[in-house]
Amino acid sequence: MSDTTQMLKGILDGCLLAIIKEGEIYGYELAAKLESYGFRSLSEGTIYPLLLRMQKEGLISATLRKSTAGPKRKYYTLTEKGEQELVMFIGRWEQVSSSVDNVLNKRGI
Amino acid sequence: MVSKESEQFLTELRFYLMSKGKNDNEINEITEELEVHLMEAEADGKDVSHIIGDSPKQYMKSIGESMTTDYRQMAGLVPLMILMLGAYVSIGPAIEGNFSLSKGTLWIAIIAGVIAVGAYSVLIFRVLPKFLHSKWSAVLLLGTGVAVTGILVMVLLWNQKQGFEPVFTATPFQNNVIVAVCAVIFIVSAIYTKTWFTIIIPLFISMGPIANRFIPQDVNEDPTYILYTVIAFVIIAAIMIFVFMVKRKKMLNNGGKRNV
Repeated sequence: MSDTTQMLKGILDGCLLAIIKEGEIYGYELAAKLESYGFRSLSEGTIYPLLLRMQKEGLISATLRKSTAGPKRKYYTLTEKGEQELVMFIGRWEQVSSSVDNVLNKRGI
Repeated sequence: MVSKESEQFLTELRFYLMSKGKNDNEINEITEELEVHLMEAEADGKDVSHIIGDSPKQYMKSIGESMTTDYRQMAGLVPLMILMLGAYVSIGPAIEGNFSLSKGTLWIAIIAGVIAVGAYSVLIFRVLPKFLHSKWSAVLLLGTGVAVTGILVMVLLWNQKQGFEPVFTATPFQNNVIVAVCAVIFIVSAIYTKTWFTIIIPLFISMGPIANRFIPQDVNEDPTYILYTVIAFVIIAAIMIFVFMVKRKKMLNNGGKRNV
């Protein structure tokens, strides 16, 4: 489990950006979505330090909204900088994933 | 409404981040956000470990690492602690109306202050958060109050025997001012740390001196009165603990947000 977390460092950032790009979303929903995409071994709280950092880097912005369930929820949206970062992430990921695929399929150099 | 376990985690997290000198607003933001998450997750029947992983400590660390350290705020914490300790020591004599300073007292205060700042930060940031949500919290608070009072009385008695020459003796008016200043310090620290124990402990400390100031001297020599006092004290303490427990239970049931 912790091995996966280690491996996911950096990749998770990109995944979060991609999910937030789909539309305004708050933490719990984000964690649930991540899980539904297959990140099951991840503990849900992992996203908060990342969200905190991305917010500080200006990739995402947050607004507090009232909810029917009780306390205010913090909703995240992508900033322009975040959109650019996502495009770059997709580029980097395609590169990495095809290289890893090559290595594993022994088609590489 | 979050479970006791989650509440415990949130308290520990808050104190951990405070002890690491993180910015107050950020601490509030992250703990509130996590509270919402824990609440919804628990409503869905998930366990805390599902959210924070197997090691709460590791998780707290990872949150701490992605937050900025507020050095200016941290610098404020040390003077606040020194002020608080000064207030702890001064409030008793000031209520009794005989606050005075001698060279010996000042030296004791400085040495005790240095030791106490260390011990106090350990107590506030490491020990108390772990007990705050257990049934031991009342016992711990009461115990701390009694222990602090006991030690102070011992030090004061020893101090009187030394017969140090006072360099400053407060007038009745100055004594009242000192009491007021101490009260302000306790209230400010309570607001700052968002906890009640900086008010509760001084209340325990003040009980003796308040009684001393308002009860006539000859009462002290009559053993029946002493017996009555002890009985009254035990009853009041029992009622306080009972009220505290009931209130806590009520709050847990109502799902209200509780101050630590």
